[in-house]
Amino acid sequence: MKTTSMALATMVLASALGTASGHAEDKPVALIVSQGGLGDQSYNDLAHSGFLRALKETGLEGRAVESKEVVSQATEILRRASDADFGLIVDLEYAHGEPMLEVAKDYPDTKYVILNQVREGANIASVLFQEQEGSYLAGTLAALVTTDTSIKGINDKPVIGVIGGTKSAGIDKFISGYVEGAKAANPNVVVKIAYSNNFGDPAIGLQMAKAMIEEGADVIYHVAGGTGMGVIQAAKEAGVYAIGVDIDQDGIAPGNVLTSMVKHSDNAVETVVKDYAADKFPGGKTITLGLKENGVGLSDMKFTKQLIPASILEKVEAAKQGILSGQIKVWNVVDQGYPDFLK
Amino acid sequence: MSAVASSARATPAIGWRDVALAVAPLVLALVVAAIVLAVAGHNPLEVYWLLLKESFGGVKRIAATVSASTPLILTGLATAVAFRSGVFNVGVEGCVLVGGLAAAFVGFTYVGLPATLLLPLALGAAALAGTLWMLVPAVLKARLDVDEVVTTLMLNFIAVSLTAWLVNGPLLAPGSANSATPMVVEAARLPRLMPPSTLNAGFLIAIALLGLYWLWGRGTALGLETRLAGLNPRFAIASGINVPMLIIKMMLLSGAIGGLAGGIQALGTVNRFVVGFSPGYGFTGIAVALLGRGSAIGILLAALLFGALATSGATIQLFSDVPIEIVNILQGTVMIFAVARFGWLLKNRQGGK
Repeated sequence: MKTTSMALATMVLASALGTASGHAEDKPVALIVSQGGLGDQSYNDLAHSGFLRALKETGLEGRAVESKEVVSQATEILRRASDADFGLIVDLEYAHGEPMLEVAKDYPDTKYVILNQVREGANIASVLFQEQEGSYLAGTLAALVTTDTSIKGINDKPVIGVIGGTKSAGIDKFISGYVEGAKAANPNVVVKIAYSNNFGDPAIGLQMAKAMIEEGADVIYHVAGGTGMGVIQAAKEAGVYAIGVDIDQDGIAPGNVLTSMVKHSDNAVETVVKDYAADKFPGGKTITLGLKENGVGLSDMKFTKQLIPASILEKVEAAKQGILSGQIKVWNVVDQGYPDFLK
Repeated sequence: MSAVASSARATPAIGWRDVALAVAPLVLALVVAAIVLAVAGHNPLEVYWLLLKESFGGVKRIAATVSASTPLILTGLATAVAFRSGVFNVGVEGCVLVGGLAAAFVGFTYVGLPATLLLPLALGAAALAGTLWMLVPAVLKARLDVDEVVTTLMLNFIAVSLTAWLVNGPLLAPGSANSATPMVVEAARLPRLMPPSTLNAGFLIAIALLGLYWLWGRGTALGLETRLAGLNPRFAIASGINVPMLIIKMMLLSGAIGGLAGGIQALGTVNRFVVGFSPGYGFTGIAVALLGRGSAIGILLAALLFGALATSGATIQLFSDVPIEIVNILQGTVMIFAVARFGWLLKNRQGGK
């Protein structure tokens, strides 16, 4: 009995307090950190660094929010930030797409940003990466490397591979870019494609990559999240090459990760926050960040650059310039459907 | 018999001592966390004030807290039901996962059905999945006396991997690069009680089950038998109670409630099954059951406490520089001190063997 009355008293007291809200000329910015939280040395940390850079340069106030329950509390967190008078909410959590649609409707004066997907709404900006452009360069490099037997670990078979996490347009966007780049560099190169149907199992990645290596593949690109760790491991064990994805993974197995197709989520976040500060927020629009915008690109190849003949690096650079100048248009599976070379 | 019954569950008036004992873990945790906060350069009182405001300061915040507490009430109840019969079931987390996936599956597959049919069907599927998930450890425990802590804990890992595989492959939403099922249809969603808050009818189900648990514990023969079996299995057997059967029943019931917790989460809050679906509701449920000392009102209050920490822990980051880790420390210390009550339960377990 006493417990209940005490709890009741606390609740009454607390409800009398009301909610807090701060007012400033330039409304502050919130960053919702995705599952895994800060300290993941990956997507979240990268995006957060861009967030901090933007705050520093614009002088805006901003806060990052992490939660173990980021998925189940999606709308509650978004609504709280909106109620608390945050002007811009940048959301890194992929599962917040639908919740954002719901919340954004109720707060027309608040601006929202979602990454890696398109959500419609006058106050929502969607950020997409032109992963196919970075993957094209990865494919170009892989095809040139696999045909140069002077490079350590390269066999005489012109075979390269790619392992996707799941068969979907979002993943095939990477794969088609890779194939297109490889074929453009050398039409005789065979690209083996496989899907792990799992983003979190290095054991599967290891197995699949080993099978590909036995068939002669000596450069394997992975688009499979945690499963890709097994691909890198297999390349290391066999003394061949893997290509990393999303962040710079070259350091995971120095010398065996040829390069990484990096998505610069830091640049993406930095750009939208600065646009917001400059009153140029692209509400209702989809921003596509490609090579030109420095949204995607190959890593610096810190550990492998010296292994690769300069002529190959020059050809990759030429392909990059081709994309930048618009001479090369890389196929985008998400916008254009499947190309002929991918069945 | 009646003497045992009255000592097992009588004294309706809660004394100051009981209240003090129940609140002590919380107070101790607050003190420990205050020291951590102070060392980290924060003013503990300010932080606690902010936590209080963010969890109970206003109707919206209370709704958010209650919404976050809903799965914890159910997982706490699922754990308590098993505890009562002397079974230390740590497999509720697995039940939440399989139950959540089962409910989501029904919710996005049988899209032609009306809400009156689809909703009960989906919730039923969740409870059934949770029940079946507990079947093997229940039988192993009751018939072969295989330690349920080991079997149910291991089953959690299997549930994590199984559901992850299913949403990555067969049940993956078409075209999604994220491990998630399609959204459940509108007809399969639990109605919201105070829109736009995510607080939904699942809370009412949880409260109703708590009420039933309370009634069952004091008024029914099965409730008494369960309590006896939990307190002293040998005496219970001597009294003619079929203890192995009772253990199976209670573990299956625990699984059903755990599955329902997942189902309510899938149909009420997340509206799909997705990686990251449960941040460990089953494990927090153990702390809820222990902190609530197995009583209905205790479970409710403990669930509200952990729900409040979960909601306010996320949103205070909008207003202060307190990192989420501090809230996690607070939550962890409450759990540790809650488990300190555990010595009392263990004594009973050993006493019975």
